[in-house]
Amino acid sequence: MITEFGNLFLSIAASLSLCLSGLLFFKKYIDDGTRYEISLKLTNFNFLFLLLSFVILAYGFLTNDFSLKYVANNSNLNLDTIYKFSAVWGAHEGSILLWVLVLSSWAVLIGKSSKSLPKGFVVDMLGIMGILSMFFIIFILFTSNPFDRIFPVPPNGRDLNPLLQDPGLIIHPPLLYLGYVGTSVPFVFAVAVLINSSIQIEWISWLRKWVIASWMFLTVGISLGSWWAYHELGWGGWWFWDPVENASFMPWLAITALLHSLIVSEKRGIFISWTILLSILTFSLSLLGTFLVRSGILVSVHAFANDPERGLYILIFLSLVVGISLLLYFQRSSQLVSKKSYEISSKEFILLINNLFLTITTFAILLGTLYPLITSSLNLGKISVGAPYFNFIFSALMLPIVFLMAPAIYSSWQKTDYSKLKKNLLSLCFYSILISYIFLNFLYDSNIFVVYLAMFLAFFTILSSLVKIIQIIRIQNERGFLALIRKTPSTIFANSFSHIGIGVLIVGITISTYYSTQKEIIMKEGSEITLQDITVKFVGIEKKISKNYSSQVGVFDAFKDDDYLISFFPEKRIYNIQKNVMTEAAISSNLARDIYIAMGDQFTSDSWVVRIYYKPFIQLIWYGAVLMILGGIFGIFGREKLSKNT
Amino acid sequence: MKITETNKKRMIKIFVFFFAISSFSALLIYAFSKNMVYFYTPTQIIKQEAPINSFIRIGGMVKVNSFKKSKDSLKVSFKIYDLNEEINVRYDGILPDLFAEGQGVVMTGKLINSNTFLANEVLAKHDENYMPPEVADMMKEKEGALNNK
Repeated sequence: MITEFGNLFLSIAASLSLCLSGLLFFKKYIDDGTRYEISLKLTNFNFLFLLLSFVILAYGFLTNDFSLKYVANNSNLNLDTIYKFSAVWGAHEGSILLWVLVLSSWAVLIGKSSKSLPKGFVVDMLGIMGILSMFFIIFILFTSNPFDRIFPVPPNGRDLNPLLQDPGLIIHPPLLYLGYVGTSVPFVFAVAVLINSSIQIEWISWLRKWVIASWMFLTVGISLGSWWAYHELGWGGWWFWDPVENASFMPWLAITALLHSLIVSEKRGIFISWTILLSILTFSLSLLGTFLVRSGILVSVHAFANDPERGLYILIFLSLVVGISLLLYFQRSSQLVSKKSYEISSKEFILLINNLFLTITTFAILLGTLYPLITSSLNLGKISVGAPYFNFIFSALMLPIVFLMAPAIYSSWQKTDYSKLKKNLLSLCFYSILISYIFLNFLYDSNIFVVYLAMFLAFFTILSSLVKIIQIIRIQNERGFLALIRKTPSTIFANSFSHIGIGVLIVGITISTYYSTQKEIIMKEGSEITLQDITVKFVGIEKKISKNYSSQVGVFDAFKDDDYLISFFPEKRIYNIQKNVMTEAAISSNLARDIYIAMGDQFTSDSWVVRIYYKPFIQLIWYGAVLMILGGIFGIFGREKLSKNT
Repeated sequence: MKITETNKKRMIKIFVFFFAISSFSALLIYAFSKNMVYFYTPTQIIKQEAPINSFIRIGGMVKVNSFKKSKDSLKVSFKIYDLNEEINVRYDGILPDLFAEGQGVVMTGKLINSNTFLANEVLAKHDENYMPPEVADMMKEKEGALNNK
């Protein structure tokens, strides 16, 4: 029985992590070079053993080993192989295992890339990683062990939650975790800095790429999650302000703030103490997210497990991590403060405002997420804070952040020449107003002020970034497109792509929110309905039998100006094992619009309840995310130095 | 008192922060008070603890054989119950896939009279094991009450 080794390997990994953290305390007795070599080895072996136990669990799934309780609860003989594999992290136990595995792989990467850092400092970082990893492995072994046995062994498993049987969900959790757990890198960096009470600018440059990587993975994970919700939940929505979504969004906001304050720290040597605090807060929010998702105290799609013991363990761990690191921070951070002056017109100040608003936004979302939990656990009544709160407060707080993106790009460090800034921005401002006016009047003949404002901000951001790229490229004295691209500092691309992505995202969100049309109607076979310029005809119902579900497939034909456009095949599935009914929406997308058809219940023998949406420009939401991710990739892999100070 | 250039800058910075934080607090309190939704059980509603005509959440189990639907529209009605009371629910729209008689359900909407709820959003459990925590708590209380009898 190969699965027996799962527990063994986990225990070995736990003791390796313990040794790793033990090295923290031998500073006096062993020289840094030796400690460095040892901790690199320990880190690699820790990763290896976690990987092995993960592989063993996957093996259990692929070979249908239902003697493992976790496999029996989350798999089935008829499950597709790919879903058997993704079921490894489909529920609580496996996903926590994935969590530590990802943590240990970040640790390995830290070790591999640490040549430019002092050895003692790396040992400290890896040691703190060791503490984190040890806590989580112990958590797995004692409260959520995926290698627990079940007896008698059931002949067949209970199947994976059908909601999770979707291609988007195969990679959503691992990518999100890469981002979530990636926030541990700035955290261990911050704690190591506090332990050593010293910091160098070169270390900050080293950290920047890691923060960008973590930010990028969080962006990928969150946007995939929303893409999945849009396709799979059958409501046509893509963001619900569900507490679990908030749990991943808060670290994103915090790490976005961190990314910006880190740039200031690196370029100007200021805000260092704030950067350190933000690093701690970001990781704390990641842990809080893990706690919220895994404690089962939430009303959520993601609340699978309902085990107070697990929640308690993570809560204690969370308070320890936050408590100790904050204590360390308040004790030591005063030594990191550096005084340098900057004008109100400077880039520093704009980025400071950006950080202020991002932090406030994070806090507002935290309040809306936690307040209902607090009142309910204190027996003050059951309250929920609805999406309108989040929508309102989030868009209000995003206004200044987005508005300042263009000035931030064109301002200089220390002091900005106002006349130059004005020259750059006024024409951009004018063109953004013009474009949004033409866009809205031409397409929608609308006069909603908020929409104008949002479109103006979006185009202002997009245009300013585009013009900046062109300006920078023009400076370079190169012929040939590729040579130009190569010569241009990649930070410009990172910065511009991400900001253009935000602009595109705002266009998508605004237009699809304000100008979507939807119909919920009863359709008889052969009947037609018109939405915008599209006519949809309900042709009929076909039956389909699949391996682990049977479904009724609606056939809908769409016409535009009497020309046939496309057919839709939305499904109503019943999964064999859990007897769950699932709605599979059918969506036809292009840049300008989505047509979205989902079936409700059968109404009479030949009529069905049908939900049809026409959503203009909704795909821009994910195109925007892709641009941001591209920006992230430039930031990680691009050339380090600006060839000319901008 | 002479205001130096540095002091002036510092004052402007402090003012900006003060302005940002206070306007944020105002915004937050406003948005929060507007959007807080209280949860009530059928028992609380029958005891008239819940406000009529304002936006609330309610939850309970759908009573078996109480589900009725209209012949030509999406209108439905059913009863939900908890510990010892039940109330009528009306809804016009598509019910979630997992809605069924005998199952837990949570809804948002408003009371149109002391025992009729007009729902505008219905949430059912996400899988066969999952129950909205509000309903789970309610059912636990019910078991507790039965055991005490």
